Amino acid sequence: MKIIKKSIDFIFFIKNTTTSPKKMKNTLLLALLFISLKGMAQENLPSVKLKSVSGKIIDIKELANETKDTPLVISFWASWCVPCISELDNINDELESMQSIKKFSFFGVAIDDARTTKKVKSFVKGKGWNFDVLLDENSELKRALNITDVPHVLIIKNNKIVYQHTGYIAGEEVNLFEEIKKL
Amino acid sequence: MNFIMKKYLLFFILYSLLATSGNAQTISQIIQSHFNGSYENYSQYYMKDDKIGATLPPDKFASNGFFKFDFNHGDFSAGFQLESYLPSTLGFFPIPADNKSKIVNKYFKYTQKKFSIQVGDFYEQFGNGLIFRSYENRQIGINNAIEGFKATAEPTSFLKTKFIYGKPREIFDYANAYVRGADAELDLVRLFTKKEDTKITTLSIGQSFISKYQEYTGPLDNFPKQVNANSTRIDFASNKITLNAEYATKSKDPHLTNGGSMKKGNAFQCSGDYTMNNLGFSVIFRSISNMEFKADRDQEYLSISPLNYLPSITKQHDNLTSNIYVYATQIKGETGVQSDLYYKIKPGTTLGGKYGTQIAVNFSYNNALNDSGNVLSFGKQKYSSDCGIDIKKKWNKKLETTLAYQNIFFNGSLQVASHSNVIANLIAASMLYKFANKTSIRFKVEHLFSDNDKKNWAAALTEFSIKSKYTLFASDLYNYGLTKNHYYNIGASVTEKSTRLSVGFGKQRDGLFCVGGVCRFLPASYGFTATLTTNFGY
Repeated sequence: MKIIKKSIDFIFFIKNTTTSPKKMKNTLLLALLFISLKGMAQENLPSVKLKSVSGKIIDIKELANETKDTPLVISFWASWCVPCISELDNINDELESMQSIKKFSFFGVAIDDARTTKKVKSFVKGKGWNFDVLLDENSELKRALNITDVPHVLIIKNNKIVYQHTGYIAGEEVNLFEEIKKL
Repeated sequence: MNFIMKKYLLFFILYSLLATSGNAQTISQIIQSHFNGSYENYSQYYMKDDKIGATLPPDKFASNGFFKFDFNHGDFSAGFQLESYLPSTLGFFPIPADNKSKIVNKYFKYTQKKFSIQVGDFYEQFGNGLIFRSYENRQIGINNAIEGFKATAEPTSFLKTKFIYGKPREIFDYANAYVRGADAELDLVRLFTKKEDTKITTLSIGQSFISKYQEYTGPLDNFPKQVNANSTRIDFASNKITLNAEYATKSKDPHLTNGGSMKKGNAFQCSGDYTMNNLGFSVIFRSISNMEFKADRDQEYLSISPLNYLPSITKQHDNLTSNIYVYATQIKGETGVQSDLYYKIKPGTTLGGKYGTQIAVNFSYNNALNDSGNVLSFGKQKYSSDCGIDIKKKWNKKLETTLAYQNIFFNGSLQVASHSNVIANLIAASMLYKFANKTSIRFKVEHLFSDNDKKNWAAALTEFSIKSKYTLFASDLYNYGLTKNHYYNIGASVTEKSTRLSVGFGKQRDGLFCVGGVCRFLPASYGFTATLTTNFGY
């Protein structure tokens, strides 16, 4: 499966970058790099400071340092993204019971921009979500972590991203919890 | 590819050779360097369909690719983004970018606790973005990153400052203009109290300034080559209440799309919310006049190198039928209000059931300005209104339903002068059922009632997911009121961790396509689509 995935990546990449022989050479090198680097661990999280709906200013780098070997789960979402909301509704329903089985911290990161960011706090409170949400109004953290689409969930342990998943399909929260329990 | 990029490349190659030949982990620990990146591709194969007006472009195949790569070593980081358009998909740029690949963004950054310096292409936003926001939106084809220099400094715990200087990106190139700016925010809570446990979590004032300079060689004597914009804002937040207000002004800014008008621009925005357990209420008011602010005064298209961000303040819906009449900001002048109420009926009550019932009510209204210079003068012409209610209920671990109603008013003359107003009512109902072993099925039906424009529409959608990994979907949007056109789509997707591949086949109607409040007109299309997203390095 992994090999197939890599080949697809490679084909798509090459297909899109061939114009001149010089460019071809450079992009080939990049593509090779891209493949050789897949699977390497990012051990330092970027320092990005965001405000949360509870009024705190949180630096993701410091947060990862503080949580150490307690898994830190971060879910990227937006108030206009229906699958994101389904995922967080379902996680919120089970959060307390999951955390009583395995200790972990949970944060949401809303990528809502100036159009909708002002409603995020009332959205979170009105939903009765029992976790804090960071406001990534100009996608600074999303970009730094190379996240393309929401929903996207990350598990961080010992300052390392150990698991991530993009998209949400009903039941995915069960997989997520299984991943947390493994740690 | 310039000299700096070659140096990066050489370093990356050496590094990757080391990494693949030895123990990658150990080496990365020794030199304390890390990589991460992402790749995204959106491709389309076009076919002809006269009925919906889908014509064949010169190239039947179009593909947008984005490859982003970031490298970091301690406090230093660097990266680039390569984009390729083979050629670009229809409507992505006003004129398709032809068979071109280019490293469009590159940067070098040094970050310390109290300051940071970035050279190269950067993104930034001041306040609510009324006078400045540089950002990327790949779905709609906006990237107005600034190439130049950015510095941030936090000399004390209560003061934050930002400085920027550079040239804004204009598709594959840079606009022939320079932008410079500064922003400062003073945190009054931290200035006057040392305690962290104060009841007021935020009380701050901010001031931003942006100036754009573009050479002018025309015949006018007093033509303003320099356009200045200022904004002042205040933020307050406590546990239950949040308030924000911003006022912005812009000096004389004659440009192509305002017909060379010498009028000054201004904007006022204020918002607030009130929250309790299981209850949230928010309201935003915004009024703008002549606030179109572009890097290049001769640029015809708003979506190319804008300097500020003025999204429409309406609710972003996800129904197939509610996106037929979408309101786009009337940037020359409008005044509007939007409000949302979110409430969760407690779990364990008769109406709440086991998981609680969630209710969302929204209202938005946009109007013309009476006097274009005065942002508090409300005119008579109504541009749009939208009000609706959504009820979501999870019955048990297996079944979930939602029911939505929406009433829409849309001023047709905003798109085409001869168009009449549209009044429409919409209902949508959906159901999700989860079987055992992570398999689920979703159904959705929608109907839009209207006596105007294209009259009635109906839509249905179904999605079948297996093992939370594979999804098959089919949908149809049918205009039976006038055109009798079906816009059907079928497709499948597979997700593995952070990689997702989806393929589809079907028809897209023409119309305004809006993401995050910025809209672009898309022509009708028929054919195949494929999307791939992945990231790596973790």
